[in-house]
Amino acid sequence: MFNIIIKETKEFIREKSYLFFFIMFPVILVFLLGNLLDETDIAESTIGMVQIDYQIDTQDPFQIAAIDSFVNGNTEQGMISFHKTEDFAQSIQLAGEDEITAAVMFGGTPLQIQVYEGTDRVKNRTVEAVLNGFIQINKTVSAVLKTSPEGLSEFKLEDADYTVDKNLNEKRSMIDYYAVTMVVMISFMSILVGSNAFIGERQNKTINRLIIAPQNRVSMFLQKICGMAPQALLQVAIIMITSVVVFKASYGATVESNLYLFFLFFVITFCMVSLGAIIGLLIKINPFIVIMPVLWIMMFFGGTYSKELDIKGFSEFMPNNIFQRAAFDVAIFGRYEMANSVILICAVTTIVALIVGAFLFNHKEEER
Amino acid sequence: MSQFVIVKNLTKKYGELTAVDNLSFDVDKNEIFGFLGPNGAGKSTTLSVLTTLSDLNKGDIEVGGYHIHKDKMKIKQLIGMVPQDIAVYENLSALENVKFFASLYGFRGKKLTGAAKEALEFVGLSDRLNMKPKQMSGGMKRRLNIACGIAHEPQLIVMDEPTVGVDAQSREHILNSIRTLRERGATVIYTSHYMNEVEEICDRIAIIDRGQMVACGTKAELVSLVTDVQSVYIETKLSVAFEGAEIKKKLKTLPNVKAVVTEENTVRIDISIEQNSITRILEQFLAFGMPIINIKTEVPNLDTMFLTLTGHELR
Repeated sequence: MFNIIIKETKEFIREKSYLFFFIMFPVILVFLLGNLLDETDIAESTIGMVQIDYQIDTQDPFQIAAIDSFVNGNTEQGMISFHKTEDFAQSIQLAGEDEITAAVMFGGTPLQIQVYEGTDRVKNRTVEAVLNGFIQINKTVSAVLKTSPEGLSEFKLEDADYTVDKNLNEKRSMIDYYAVTMVVMISFMSILVGSNAFIGERQNKTINRLIIAPQNRVSMFLQKICGMAPQALLQVAIIMITSVVVFKASYGATVESNLYLFFLFFVITFCMVSLGAIIGLLIKINPFIVIMPVLWIMMFFGGTYSKELDIKGFSEFMPNNIFQRAAFDVAIFGRYEMANSVILICAVTTIVALIVGAFLFNHKEEER
Repeated sequence: MSQFVIVKNLTKKYGELTAVDNLSFDVDKNEIFGFLGPNGAGKSTTLSVLTTLSDLNKGDIEVGGYHIHKDKMKIKQLIGMVPQDIAVYENLSALENVKFFASLYGFRGKKLTGAAKEALEFVGLSDRLNMKPKQMSGGMKRRLNIACGIAHEPQLIVMDEPTVGVDAQSREHILNSIRTLRERGATVIYTSHYMNEVEEICDRIAIIDRGQMVACGTKAELVSLVTDVQSVYIETKLSVAFEGAEIKKKLKTLPNVKAVVTEENTVRIDISIEQNSITRILEQFLAFGMPIINIKTEVPNLDTMFLTLTGHELR
């Protein structure tokens, strides 16, 4: 059994393009993307002061009181400054010139909010989040007023903080993000290694020598796949160790979580290798031509290259996005539920892929 | 001499296409058996089924007393394959390549290393053990290809055009190696496009065309099949390639003409040995307005035989 594993490992280690593509390239990307995009991260985490000019266009005393309460409450917290304007047209102009963050008009029954935003994307998101929160509360209170006004007497405002801050003990940077993301990326791309294991045999014309050998084909197939395991371990280990030692990136907070992450990445890699093997047995052309465009699209829209490319309803179904979220859950929050599910699904997928692959290889005839 | 390979009524189909049609032949133990046929004749398909690379649709194959339907694994153990294409791993050294393929036949440890080194020495690569195929010349790669197929000491070696694209020195080395393999007790099935090679090393030759056996026997037996034929070479001043198709067509309509092959300034015509055959051809030839510079006749050889029996040139 070990002769095939040793042969596969030797071929991988001696193939310079593999070493570059599956080890050097992701390590370089961790460094480049992590450092180049670090500024973006700072911009996001430091939102700065949000200044809003507003005007109230309603006669409803309850709505006016609710708006005033909301405005005063937020202004007291210091992050957002509300200023009641008499000249709303001028406020819109100021927002357009980024002199203020936004100009907001509260009016109508039921209450509607018109927002004229500036160009600062992060501040705009903050304004939208705060105003959406207010409008939801407003709708709820209006509904209660209509159906059970006495119920409101049960409602008391308390000066309490319902959020709990978890001290993560360290500041997360973009290099940490890419350290995790690049291992996921390379695990994901291992589908190419799996497919090339058989397409390479075909290109070398050695597949016929394997087929005529007096060996059980199923066993031979499994040996070839197992031969990929040292490669999977090697590439995951090198990227993780290099990211930590050279680039000072962080994965999990504890040794256990790091070992768990390593296991998670290995399981994903092995699953992808097994799926790749099926592709390698089915297609006859260069796997890079077929698989690479699909992988690039998935990674591009799955948040591998930038967190900002997230497309709601699309990105979250990309396998790489799911793998990344599972890994971040472990690395940042110490949550294992999603990662456990990923491991389980990958294990089942691997078993199915191995059965299908073994069947295909067992029925394989001569390649010409 | 005992029969080592017996092929009975072999039929292999690819969809609607019948690549091999009811083919039967046998190969004696310790024999070098040549397999000839034009492109697409079914040679490679026959070898593919024989070496267990493909399944047959009908018939039976017996190798070393084992039947392919019942004892495929035992037959695999007996066979060594030297494919037409160089089938080696570019990133492994010569020794690692040979060791890997021999290990698939159950060789381990010192026996494995010894067998691999012996195979490489046999093909003249003992001083290139650590050289990788990408550093080798075409001839050296061909020899490594052979070493990978014989290191496990197979009793039946199937060689599919092992000398394609090699220099004269490497070709001579390969042909001598095949003879030595036979001397050591192996049975060899050999295909080639080079008629002189087949004539030189094969004990018996089978000719197949369109998936069927056309003739089988020793060189003398095959040539005797066409003793009533002689080849006439007519050299002319003008290039016959220019109007080759037209000339061939007209010459083929003449009585007693078996085959016509045109080359640069020469037309080769295989004709029946009958009175006036040559005279008629020369008359016709002059009617084309082509001057005759030289005329040469030859007794039948394998080329003549092949062309006569199949209607095609080997290439």
